[in-house]
Amino acid sequence: MADSLLLGISTDFLTAWNFWIGVGILAGIYGIFTLGLQLNVGFTGIFNFGQAGFMAIGAYSAVVLVVDVGIPFFLALPLSMAITMLVGFLIGLPAVRLRADYLAIATIAFSEVIRITVQNARGLTGGNQGTISVELENDRFFSETWDDISNWMSTNLFDPIGLTGTDFINLPLLVVIWLSLVVLAFVLARVVRSPWGRVLRAVREDEDAARALGKNAFSYKLQSLAIAAGLGGIAGWFLVLAQGSVSQEAFEPIFTFTGYAVLVIGGLASFPGVLFGSFIFWAVYEGLRALELPLASDKDAALRFVLVGLVLILLMAFRPQGVMGKKEEMVLGD
Amino acid sequence: MEASSVAVEMSQRSVLARFRAYAGAYPARVFLAVMGIFAAWLVIKYGLHDFGQRTVNGVVTGSYLALGAIGLTLVYGILRLTNFAHGDMLTLGAYIALLFNVTVGVPFAVAVAAATLLTAAFGVFTELVMWRPMRRRKAGILQLVLMTIGLAFVIRNVIQMIAGAGQKRLDVNTTETIDFIGLSIGRFQLIVVIIAFIVLVGVALMLRYTSLGRQMRALADNFDLAETTGINTERVVIYTWILSAGLAGLAGVMVVGSIGSLNPNTGFTLLLPLFAAVVLGGIGNAFGALAGGLVIGLTQEWSTLPIEPQWKTAVSFLVLVAVLIFRPQGIFGKERTL
Amino acid sequence: MTDAAAASVAATAPESGPEEILEVKSVYKHFGGIRAVNGASFSVPRGSITALIGPNGAGKTTLFNIITGFYKGDAGEIRYEGRSIFGVRPYRIADHGMVRTFQITKALAAMPVIDNMMLAAPQQPGENLVGLITRRRANSRREAEVSEHAIELLERFNLAAKKDDYAGTLSGGQRKLLELARALMAQPRTLLLDEPMAGINPTLGRRLLDHMHDLRDNQGVTFVFIEHDMDVVMKHSDEVVVMAQGETIVKGPPEVIRSDQRVIDAYLGGGGSRDEPGPEARRAPDVEEGP
Repeated sequence: MADSLLLGISTDFLTAWNFWIGVGILAGIYGIFTLGLQLNVGFTGIFNFGQAGFMAIGAYSAVVLVVDVGIPFFLALPLSMAITMLVGFLIGLPAVRLRADYLAIATIAFSEVIRITVQNARGLTGGNQGTISVELENDRFFSETWDDISNWMSTNLFDPIGLTGTDFINLPLLVVIWLSLVVLAFVLARVVRSPWGRVLRAVREDEDAARALGKNAFSYKLQSLAIAAGLGGIAGWFLVLAQGSVSQEAFEPIFTFTGYAVLVIGGLASFPGVLFGSFIFWAVYEGLRALELPLASDKDAALRFVLVGLVLILLMAFRPQGVMGKKEEMVLGD
Repeated sequence: MEASSVAVEMSQRSVLARFRAYAGAYPARVFLAVMGIFAAWLVIKYGLHDFGQRTVNGVVTGSYLALGAIGLTLVYGILRLTNFAHGDMLTLGAYIALLFNVTVGVPFAVAVAAATLLTAAFGVFTELVMWRPMRRRKAGILQLVLMTIGLAFVIRNVIQMIAGAGQKRLDVNTTETIDFIGLSIGRFQLIVVIIAFIVLVGVALMLRYTSLGRQMRALADNFDLAETTGINTERVVIYTWILSAGLAGLAGVMVVGSIGSLNPNTGFTLLLPLFAAVVLGGIGNAFGALAGGLVIGLTQEWSTLPIEPQWKTAVSFLVLVAVLIFRPQGIFGKERTL
Repeated sequence: MTDAAAASVAATAPESGPEEILEVKSVYKHFGGIRAVNGASFSVPRGSITALIGPNGAGKTTLFNIITGFYKGDAGEIRYEGRSIFGVRPYRIADHGMVRTFQITKALAAMPVIDNMMLAAPQQPGENLVGLITRRRANSRREAEVSEHAIELLERFNLAAKKDDYAGTLSGGQRKLLELARALMAQPRTLLLDEPMAGINPTLGRRLLDHMHDLRDNQGVTFVFIEHDMDVVMKHSDEVVVMAQGETIVKGPPEVIRSDQRVIDAYLGGGGSRDEPGPEARRAPDVEEGP
């Protein structure tokens, strides 16, 4: 490959497989994360700002169940999902009846309580400062089962077609994540057109109108939040598998805000938009990181976040429906 | 049903229902009583000295929280804008003070003034460039909230791009302490408290007795109605931003003075405690924000007695959540209905 | 109406029950220092058309809100079909068969017209997540039924051509009709209409009233409506209830009400009426209804 330069900065990474696989994995994880936000914001009208907290619960519960408690991987996952959705339900009980901005504040508060608990409750999460690792001394790996599957996939599916070597180590994970993402998006898109989804969309726009027609708006909002929590939890599992070890910093509110950036780029009330938005966001974000601008690393990161902030401001000011959002279906609150 | 039978029905309610009715009617008294009981328990269990020291710390924290909370609550009350960027305006003020005090080298008092004025100017800038046009376009809550979040990102990270992510310190003596009746307070922290109190009293008087203050309160109470009475709302809104952002900038400097150092995230980490103070006091109510700030500060510091200090911030979040669940209008807010 | 639709309507029509389908006794409600409803009492005979009238600020809409559960009254008794519904949640009251419309029309603009209509149909297994998954066939059958019924109703209101358009694209008058048609989809036993005639042209209005009479005569639906148009009230109601300053001051047939001095005073005198918070002063509450 010839060196490619843009204004004197190397753009070699654009043709590197591992760059795009990395982007794809991040885009996939945050795509699943944002599917939950879309269900809440785009289709129910609840401003869930605690999604990072649910991601944390999914990640930590899955790891603890496998590594500390010793439950088999494929049993631990549904259990973790149940726990995450239960927490979503419990948080929703007091939170969901609050008005829009209070709900936002309350969910951030809950999310932070979760994160601080994870950071400080040594007994529960072990490790230092809430870092969980995929493996533990007694040879139980969280990812053991996954590693086997991944190896199988590499050997039987990807090696034969030449996608082999260190560049493609994470290809199985990418494939599984995106498969899950697409299936989940498809299911959600169907569900919002169902009678259940119809009630949800009515609640989104005007709860009183829904109530006057015999619908229990509170219950529907609660269900929406619990499902979103579950989706956040799934994203959490994949995050742990992708990174090998995860610390509580990965669940700060800034990541929920990142999810919202993905949401608004793709557009409200559009599940395909979430896939699109997530891919675009992470491609650009990681691309900027890979550009190796002549800036110190903390300032480099800061520059990227300035751009994220500007994207949020400009989109909300000038094109709130994002790229693929349906303008008629957007209920932005009043 | 005549009035007497209504009264009869009410007295037949359970003790719990009557307590709730009492708490609903006299929230401040009930709340003070609860605080008092908690304080008394702490004194008994941990001794007057430890309690006293925590109280001093709590007052210091509470005073800068109060400064920050007033601005946040005013902007919400008058503009219905939940400003998630408010915390970063504290950071902005702190860094401006840092710039003037350390880099330029002026005396601290000048740096404080510069921080307050320049942050106030920035607040006005955001009003003219962002909030006024969005109001004209009847933007929805989601749009506004996300814009404030985007603004928060921008402020915080532009600061980081310029100043870097590391901890910085002001060029003032923050380690010298004053001891009195067995308790100690940083000399600088004492200055912080004094400045904060003077400013808070000034703001309270302004809101209560000046015509501008009355207009601000009228707008906070009912924006559309107040508009029809001939108040120049755009002018009052500008003054509101001057006050809100200016106080935020000042509060930011006070934070640095109390804690000793700052980094670009300092303000944002205070955002939730500030929300807690605002919601506790009753959103839109400036006096409530003052009280709320003090209460949150005290509660956080008192909580370090029974619980380990790293849970301190979680305590204020739990208070926030509890208020939102049990009394969302806060201690001093009225129950709003359609 | 198709056989299936007619059958489902007949199935939900109770033949027995107290003669007064709705009873309101001594209801009180205050907001802050304002007594919005200050002792309101009236009862509605089954299958009648009752008009609730009074000057602005008399408390009519507030009373509607209390009856349908959107506000909680401070005191009083409200019975529907003999059962107390005081303080019951709005969605349960609607479930019992009492459906209301709103003063400011609530056509769900972000949904297509047909979705608006299908939303209102009762007994949809697909509205339940579990039912959605387990009762697939029952669900699709009911969807087809509901869709057919919805289109029929839309045809009667001349809205069928717009069925796939988003409700936000409809004119004000069309949205009003949609809200009414939607309310009818819910197969109510009792309809509470808040200013149904406001903002519609006379032709449309007449069609609406014809519909009202048809439903009352053929299906025994009871109507209570708030109205300012005295012509409509006089010509189309069996019974009139007059409110002023939060109280129900007079009740009786239209001819009697027309010449009652107290009614004339209430409209002309007016001074010191209990101010209902009007739409301009409305703000979203900080806490909405719980379960």
